[in-house]
Amino acid sequence: MTDTIDLLEAIGRDASLRHASAEELAKALEQAQASEALAAAAASGDRARLFEELGHRECEPPQSTQMPGHEEEEEEPDQHEEPRPSPVPGQEKPSPRR
Amino acid sequence: MQTPPAPSSGTRRGSLACVGLGMTLGSHLTPLARSHIEQADVVFAALSDGVVEMWLERMHPDVRSLQPYYREGKSRLKTYRQWVELMMAEVRAGKRVCGVFYGHPGIFAWSPHKAIETARAEGYEAHMEPGISAEDCLYADLGIDPGRFGCQHFEASQLLFYERRIDPAGYLVLWQVGLVGDRSLARFQTGSAYRQLLVELLARDYPLDHEVIVYRGATLPIEKPRVRRLPLRELPQAPLTAEETVVLPPAQSLRPNIAMQQRLEALDELEKAGDVA
Repeated sequence: MTDTIDLLEAIGRDASLRHASAEELAKALEQAQASEALAAAAASGDRARLFEELGHRECEPPQSTQMPGHEEEEEEPDQHEEPRPSPVPGQEKPSPRR
Repeated sequence: MQTPPAPSSGTRRGSLACVGLGMTLGSHLTPLARSHIEQADVVFAALSDGVVEMWLERMHPDVRSLQPYYREGKSRLKTYRQWVELMMAEVRAGKRVCGVFYGHPGIFAWSPHKAIETARAEGYEAHMEPGISAEDCLYADLGIDPGRFGCQHFEASQLLFYERRIDPAGYLVLWQVGLVGDRSLARFQTGSAYRQLLVELLARDYPLDHEVIVYRGATLPIEKPRVRRLPLRELPQAPLTAEETVVLPPAQSLRPNIAMQQRLEALDELEKAGDVA
Protein backbone atom coordinates (compact mmCIF):
# COMPACT_ATOMS: atom_id res chain seq x y z
CA MET A 1 0.00 0.00 0.00
CA THR A 2 1.38 3.41 -0.96
CA ASP A 3 1.71 6.02 1.77
CA THR A 4 -1.37 8.26 1.86
CA ILE A 5 0.42 11.59 2.45
CA ASP A 6 2.86 10.81 -0.38
CA LEU A 7 -0.07 9.99 -2.65
CA LEU A 8 -1.90 13.20 -1.75
CA GLU A 9 1.24 15.20 -2.55
CA ALA A 10 1.60 13.35 -5.86
CA ILE A 11 -2.01 14.14 -6.79
CA GLY A 12 -1.58 17.77 -5.77
CA ARG A 13 1.39 18.33 -8.05
CA ASP A 14 0.16 16.38 -11.08
CA ALA A 15 -1.94 18.38 -13.54
CA SER A 16 -3.79 15.38 -14.92
CA LEU A 17 -4.54 13.89 -11.49
CA ARG A 18 -5.43 17.14 -9.71
CA HIS A 19 -8.23 17.82 -12.15
CA ALA A 20 -9.10 14.24 -13.06
CA SER A 21 -12.66 12.98 -13.06
CA ALA A 22 -13.74 10.82 -10.12
CA GLU A 23 -13.46 7.72 -12.32
CA GLU A 24 -9.97 8.57 -13.57
CA LEU A 25 -8.77 9.36 -10.07
CA ALA A 26 -10.26 6.16 -8.69
CA LYS A 27 -8.41 4.17 -11.37
CA ALA A 28 -5.12 5.95 -10.66
CA LEU A 29 -5.50 5.36 -6.92
CA GLU A 30 -6.22 1.69 -7.47
CA GLN A 31 -3.09 1.34 -9.60
CA ALA A 32 -1.07 3.14 -6.93
CA GLN A 33 -2.45 0.78 -4.28
CA ALA A 34 -3.95 3.60 -2.28
CA SER A 35 -5.47 2.85 1.09
CA GLU A 36 -9.17 2.10 1.23
CA ALA A 37 -9.73 5.31 3.23
CA LEU A 38 -8.04 7.52 0.62
CA ALA A 39 -9.90 5.83 -2.23
CA ALA A 40 -13.20 6.32 -0.40
CA ALA A 41 -12.41 9.95 0.47
CA ALA A 42 -11.48 10.72 -3.13
CA ALA A 43 -14.62 9.05 -4.48
CA SER A 44 -16.97 10.81 -2.07
CA GLY A 45 -15.09 14.05 -1.48
CA ASP A 46 -15.63 13.34 2.22
CA ARG A 47 -12.41 13.96 4.10
CA ALA A 48 -13.82 12.31 7.22
CA ARG A 49 -12.79 8.95 5.75
CA LEU A 50 -9.18 10.10 5.75
CA PHE A 51 -9.30 10.86 9.47
CA GLU A 52 -10.20 7.22 10.09
CA GLU A 53 -6.79 6.31 8.70
CA LEU A 54 -4.66 9.28 9.73
CA GLY A 55 -6.32 10.32 12.98
CA HIS A 56 -8.23 13.52 13.39
CA ARG A 57 -6.34 16.69 14.22
CA GLU A 58 -8.37 19.75 15.04
CA CYS A 59 -7.62 22.92 13.15
CA GLU A 60 -9.43 25.98 14.41
CA PRO A 61 -10.80 28.86 12.38
CA PRO A 62 -8.60 31.24 10.45
CA GLN A 63 -6.87 34.05 12.26
CA SER A 64 -9.30 36.86 12.94
CA THR A 65 -7.66 40.24 12.63
CA GLN A 66 -10.54 42.35 13.95
CA MET A 67 -9.66 43.34 17.46
CA PRO A 68 -11.48 46.57 18.25
CA GLY A 69 -10.29 47.87 21.58
CA HIS A 70 -8.12 44.80 22.14
CA GLU A 71 -4.99 45.71 20.22
CA GLU A 72 -3.99 48.32 22.80
CA GLU A 73 -4.58 46.07 25.78
CA GLU A 74 -1.65 45.95 28.14
CA GLU A 75 -2.11 42.24 28.61
CA GLU A 76 1.14 40.39 29.04
CA PRO A 77 1.29 37.07 27.25
CA ASP A 78 1.11 34.14 29.63
CA GLN A 79 4.40 32.38 29.05
CA HIS A 80 3.61 29.61 31.46
CA GLU A 81 0.36 28.43 30.01
CA GLU A 82 0.66 25.01 28.54
CA PRO A 83 -0.99 24.17 25.26
CA ARG A 84 -3.86 21.77 25.52
CA PRO A 85 -2.89 18.19 24.77
CA SER A 86 -3.25 16.94 21.23
CA PRO A 87 -6.66 15.37 20.72
CA VAL A 88 -6.97 11.64 20.84
CA PRO A 89 -8.32 10.34 17.54
CA GLY A 90 -12.00 9.60 17.80
CA GLN A 91 -12.53 11.58 21.02
CA GLU A 92 -12.28 15.15 19.85
CA LYS A 93 -15.10 17.58 19.29
CA PRO A 94 -15.95 18.38 15.70
CA SER A 95 -13.98 21.32 14.37
CA PRO A 96 -15.84 24.22 12.80
CA ARG A 97 -13.37 23.94 9.94
CA ARG A 98 -14.82 20.68 8.71
CA MET B 1 22.98 22.31 -11.89
CA GLN B 2 24.40 21.65 -8.49
CA THR B 3 23.15 23.80 -5.67
CA PRO B 4 25.98 26.00 -4.41
CA PRO B 5 26.73 25.69 -0.71
CA ALA B 6 24.76 28.07 1.50
CA PRO B 7 26.78 31.00 2.80
CA SER B 8 27.95 30.48 6.34
CA SER B 9 28.46 33.20 8.88
CA GLY B 10 31.00 33.03 11.67
CA THR B 11 28.56 33.67 14.49
CA ARG B 12 25.14 32.09 14.37
CA ARG B 13 22.35 34.54 15.03
CA GLY B 14 18.68 33.82 15.15
CA SER B 15 16.46 34.61 12.20
CA LEU B 16 12.82 34.34 11.27
CA ALA B 17 11.07 33.49 8.01
CA CYS B 18 7.28 33.41 7.83
CA VAL B 19 6.21 31.48 4.75
CA GLY B 20 2.93 30.52 3.10
CA LEU B 21 2.14 26.90 2.33
CA GLY B 22 -0.56 27.84 -0.18
CA MET B 23 -4.07 26.47 0.07
CA THR B 24 -3.94 23.02 -1.52
CA LEU B 25 -1.67 20.21 -0.32
CA GLY B 26 1.01 19.45 -2.89
CA SER B 27 -0.12 22.08 -5.38
CA HIS B 28 0.93 25.50 -4.13
CA LEU B 29 4.13 25.33 -2.10
CA THR B 30 6.83 27.43 -3.78
CA PRO B 31 10.42 26.14 -4.07
CA LEU B 32 11.65 29.04 -1.96
CA ALA B 33 9.10 28.48 0.83
CA ARG B 34 10.07 24.79 0.90
CA SER B 35 13.71 25.77 1.13
CA HIS B 36 12.99 28.05 4.11
CA ILE B 37 11.25 25.12 5.82
CA GLU B 38 14.00 22.63 5.08
CA GLN B 39 16.83 24.94 6.15
CA ALA B 40 15.22 26.02 9.43
CA ASP B 41 16.31 24.70 12.83
CA VAL B 42 12.73 24.73 14.09
CA VAL B 43 9.39 25.04 12.29
CA PHE B 44 6.14 26.38 13.77
CA ALA B 45 2.90 25.60 11.97
CA ALA B 46 -0.53 27.25 11.83
CA LEU B 47 -2.31 25.35 9.11
CA SER B 48 -5.80 24.84 7.78
CA ASP B 49 -5.91 21.13 8.01
CA GLY B 50 -4.48 18.33 10.14
CA VAL B 51 -3.58 16.32 7.04
CA VAL B 52 -1.63 19.30 5.69
CA GLU B 53 0.20 19.47 9.01
CA MET B 54 1.23 15.82 8.57
CA TRP B 55 2.53 16.68 5.11
CA LEU B 56 4.64 19.48 6.58
CA GLU B 57 6.07 17.05 9.13
CA ARG B 58 7.57 15.12 6.20
CA MET B 59 9.65 18.18 5.32
CA HIS B 60 11.25 18.81 8.71
CA PRO B 61 11.92 16.72 11.83
CA ASP B 62 10.99 19.49 14.29
CA VAL B 63 7.54 20.84 13.38
CA ARG B 64 5.66 22.37 16.32
CA SER B 65 1.95 22.89 15.83
CA LEU B 66 0.52 26.19 17.03
CA GLN B 67 -3.01 24.79 16.96
CA PRO B 68 -3.04 23.54 20.59
CA TYR B 69 -2.84 27.14 21.83
CA TYR B 70 -6.34 27.87 20.50
CA ARG B 71 -9.09 27.32 23.01
CA GLU B 72 -12.79 28.13 22.93
CA GLY B 73 -13.45 30.90 25.46
CA LYS B 74 -9.82 32.12 25.31
CA SER B 75 -9.11 35.37 23.48
CA ARG B 76 -7.55 34.71 20.10
CA LEU B 77 -5.37 37.76 20.69
CA LYS B 78 -3.80 35.97 23.64
CA THR B 79 -3.23 32.93 21.45
CA TYR B 80 -1.63 35.00 18.72
CA ARG B 81 0.65 36.76 21.21
CA GLN B 82 1.73 33.36 22.48
CA TRP B 83 2.54 32.33 18.92
CA VAL B 84 4.74 35.40 18.50
CA GLU B 85 6.51 34.72 21.79
CA LEU B 86 7.06 31.03 20.96
CA MET B 87 8.70 31.94 17.66
CA MET B 88 10.70 34.81 19.16
CA ALA B 89 12.01 32.67 22.03
CA GLU B 90 13.70 30.38 19.50
CA VAL B 91 14.96 33.32 17.43
CA ARG B 92 16.51 34.83 20.56
CA ALA B 93 18.10 31.44 21.29
CA GLY B 94 19.98 31.78 17.99
CA LYS B 95 17.80 29.43 15.93
CA ARG B 96 16.74 29.80 12.33
CA VAL B 97 12.98 29.79 12.79
CA CYS B 98 10.38 29.22 10.11
CA GLY B 99 6.73 30.02 10.78
CA VAL B 100 4.52 28.19 8.30
CA PHE B 101 1.02 29.52 7.73
CA TYR B 102 -1.61 28.26 5.33
CA GLY B 103 -2.29 30.37 2.29
CA HIS B 104 -0.34 33.62 2.42
CA PRO B 105 1.30 34.38 5.77
CA GLY B 106 0.52 38.08 5.57
CA ILE B 107 -3.17 38.03 4.69
CA PHE B 108 -5.73 38.01 7.51
CA ALA B 109 -2.96 36.96 9.83
CA TRP B 110 -1.81 39.06 12.76
CA SER B 111 1.00 37.03 14.25
CA PRO B 112 3.36 36.69 11.25
CA HIS B 113 3.40 40.47 10.78
CA LYS B 114 3.87 41.02 14.51
CA ALA B 115 6.62 38.41 14.80
CA ILE B 116 8.56 39.90 11.87
CA GLU B 117 8.15 43.40 13.27
CA THR B 118 9.36 42.24 16.70
CA ALA B 119 12.33 40.33 15.28
CA ARG B 120 13.46 43.28 13.19
CA ALA B 121 13.06 45.66 16.11
CA GLU B 122 15.40 43.42 18.11
CA GLY B 123 17.95 43.37 15.30
CA TYR B 124 17.26 39.92 13.87
CA GLU B 125 16.88 39.11 10.21
CA ALA B 126 13.22 38.51 9.39
CA HIS B 127 11.47 37.84 6.10
CA MET B 128 7.99 37.09 4.79
CA GLU B 129 7.63 34.74 1.84
CA PRO B 130 4.25 34.98 0.09
CA GLY B 131 2.04 32.01 -0.66
CA ILE B 132 -1.01 31.34 -2.81
CA SER B 133 -3.88 32.69 -0.76
CA ALA B 134 -7.57 31.86 -0.47
CA GLU B 135 -8.15 35.11 -2.35
CA ASP B 136 -6.02 33.89 -5.26
CA CYS B 137 -7.96 30.63 -5.41
CA LEU B 138 -11.26 32.51 -5.22
CA TYR B 139 -10.46 34.58 -8.31
CA ALA B 140 -9.53 31.46 -10.26
CA ASP B 141 -12.41 29.26 -9.10
CA LEU B 142 -15.15 31.89 -9.44
CA GLY B 143 -13.79 33.49 -12.62
CA ILE B 144 -13.53 36.95 -11.08
CA ASP B 145 -11.04 39.55 -12.28
CA PRO B 146 -10.74 42.16 -9.50
CA GLY B 147 -9.51 44.68 -12.04
CA ARG B 148 -12.72 44.64 -14.05
CA PHE B 149 -15.09 46.41 -11.68
CA GLY B 150 -12.84 46.80 -8.66
CA CYS B 151 -13.01 44.62 -5.58
CA GLN B 152 -13.31 45.47 -1.88
CA HIS B 153 -12.23 43.03 0.80
CA PHE B 154 -13.24 43.22 4.43
CA GLU B 155 -13.17 40.90 7.34
CA ALA B 156 -16.95 40.83 7.89
CA SER B 157 -16.77 42.04 11.49
CA GLN B 158 -15.05 45.25 10.40
CA LEU B 159 -18.21 46.28 8.57
CA LEU B 160 -20.12 46.06 11.85
CA PHE B 161 -17.44 47.51 14.13
CA TYR B 162 -16.56 50.53 12.02
CA GLU B 163 -18.16 52.97 9.58
CA ARG B 164 -17.03 51.84 6.14
CA ARG B 165 -18.11 52.81 2.63
CA ILE B 166 -19.23 49.98 0.39
CA ASP B 167 -19.11 50.41 -3.38
CA PRO B 168 -21.83 48.15 -4.88
CA ALA B 169 -20.52 48.80 -8.41
CA GLY B 170 -17.56 46.51 -7.64
CA TYR B 171 -17.18 43.08 -6.07
CA LEU B 172 -17.43 42.86 -2.31
CA VAL B 173 -15.61 39.96 -0.64
CA LEU B 174 -16.38 39.28 3.02
CA TRP B 175 -14.04 37.05 5.01
CA GLN B 176 -14.88 35.06 8.11
CA VAL B 177 -18.62 35.73 7.98
CA GLY B 178 -19.11 32.68 10.20
CA LEU B 179 -17.49 34.69 13.03
CA VAL B 180 -19.11 38.02 12.22
CA GLY B 181 -19.61 40.34 15.15
CA ASP B 182 -17.56 38.35 17.67
CA ARG B 183 -16.25 41.07 19.98
CA SER B 184 -14.95 38.61 22.56
CA LEU B 185 -12.31 37.14 20.21
CA ALA B 186 -13.08 33.93 22.05
CA ARG B 187 -15.72 32.26 19.91
CA PHE B 188 -15.20 30.03 16.90
CA GLN B 189 -18.61 30.84 15.42
CA THR B 190 -21.45 33.32 15.85
CA GLY B 191 -25.08 32.61 15.06
CA SER B 192 -27.73 33.72 12.59
CA ALA B 193 -28.74 36.79 14.65
CA TYR B 194 -25.23 38.21 14.09
CA ARG B 195 -25.42 37.51 10.37
CA GLN B 196 -28.86 39.13 10.29
CA LEU B 197 -27.22 42.37 11.46
CA LEU B 198 -24.71 42.07 8.64
CA VAL B 199 -27.51 41.52 6.12
CA GLU B 200 -29.33 44.60 7.43
CA LEU B 201 -26.21 46.64 6.86
CA LEU B 202 -25.64 45.22 3.39
CA ALA B 203 -29.30 45.84 2.50
CA ARG B 204 -28.49 49.57 2.44
CA ASP B 205 -26.55 48.94 -0.76
CA TYR B 206 -27.91 45.66 -2.14
CA PRO B 207 -31.44 44.33 -2.78
CA LEU B 208 -32.30 41.38 -0.53
CA ASP B 209 -32.72 39.12 -3.54
CA HIS B 210 -29.19 39.93 -4.74
CA GLU B 211 -27.33 36.69 -5.37
CA VAL B 212 -24.37 36.09 -3.07
CA ILE B 213 -21.74 33.38 -3.47
CA VAL B 214 -20.50 31.30 -0.55
CA TYR B 215 -17.06 29.92 -1.38
CA ARG B 216 -14.52 27.57 0.12
CA GLY B 217 -11.33 26.61 -1.70
CA ALA B 218 -9.91 23.11 -1.73
CA THR B 219 -7.27 22.33 0.89
CA LEU B 220 -6.82 18.68 -0.10
CA PRO B 221 -6.07 17.80 -3.74
CA ILE B 222 -8.90 15.26 -3.79
CA GLU B 223 -11.43 18.03 -3.11
CA LYS B 224 -13.20 20.44 -5.40
CA PRO B 225 -13.92 24.05 -4.47
CA ARG B 226 -17.29 24.42 -2.75
CA VAL B 227 -19.49 27.08 -4.34
CA ARG B 228 -23.05 27.88 -3.24
CA ARG B 229 -25.26 30.67 -4.54
CA LEU B 230 -28.16 32.10 -2.55
CA PRO B 231 -30.13 35.32 -2.16
CA LEU B 232 -28.72 37.79 0.36
CA ARG B 233 -31.80 37.46 2.57
CA GLU B 234 -31.05 33.77 3.16
CA LEU B 235 -27.51 34.34 4.39
CA PRO B 236 -28.39 34.39 8.14
CA GLN B 237 -29.99 30.94 7.99
CA ALA B 238 -27.48 29.33 5.63
CA PRO B 239 -25.05 26.86 7.23
CA LEU B 240 -21.70 28.64 7.22
CA THR B 241 -18.30 27.68 8.60
CA ALA B 242 -15.56 30.09 9.63
CA GLU B 243 -13.39 29.38 6.62
CA GLU B 244 -16.12 30.10 4.05
CA THR B 245 -16.04 33.40 2.20
CA VAL B 246 -19.01 35.40 0.97
CA VAL B 247 -18.80 37.25 -2.34
CA LEU B 248 -21.30 39.89 -3.47
CA PRO B 249 -21.09 40.53 -7.21
CA PRO B 250 -21.71 44.10 -8.41
CA ALA B 251 -25.28 45.35 -7.94
CA GLN B 252 -24.87 48.52 -10.01
CA SER B 253 -23.27 49.36 -13.32
CA LEU B 254 -20.29 51.70 -13.38
CA ARG B 255 -21.39 55.33 -13.60
CA PRO B 256 -19.24 57.58 -15.78
CA ASN B 257 -17.53 60.46 -13.98
CA ILE B 258 -18.49 63.14 -16.49
CA ALA B 259 -16.65 65.97 -14.73
CA MET B 260 -13.34 64.07 -14.66
CA GLN B 261 -13.75 62.91 -18.25
CA GLN B 262 -14.21 66.53 -19.32
CA ARG B 263 -11.09 67.56 -17.44
CA LEU B 264 -9.15 64.73 -19.06
CA GLU B 265 -10.39 65.85 -22.46
CA ALA B 266 -9.20 69.39 -21.71
CA LEU B 267 -5.77 68.03 -20.69
CA ASP B 268 -5.60 65.99 -23.91
CA GLU B 269 -6.39 69.15 -25.91
CA LEU B 270 -3.66 71.08 -24.11
CA GLU B 271 -1.11 68.32 -24.82
CA LYS B 272 -2.16 68.22 -28.45
CA ALA B 273 -1.79 71.99 -28.74
CA GLY B 274 1.66 71.73 -27.10
CA ASP B 275 2.71 69.07 -29.65
CA VAL B 276 1.63 71.29 -32.52
CA ALA B 277 3.46 74.25 -31.05
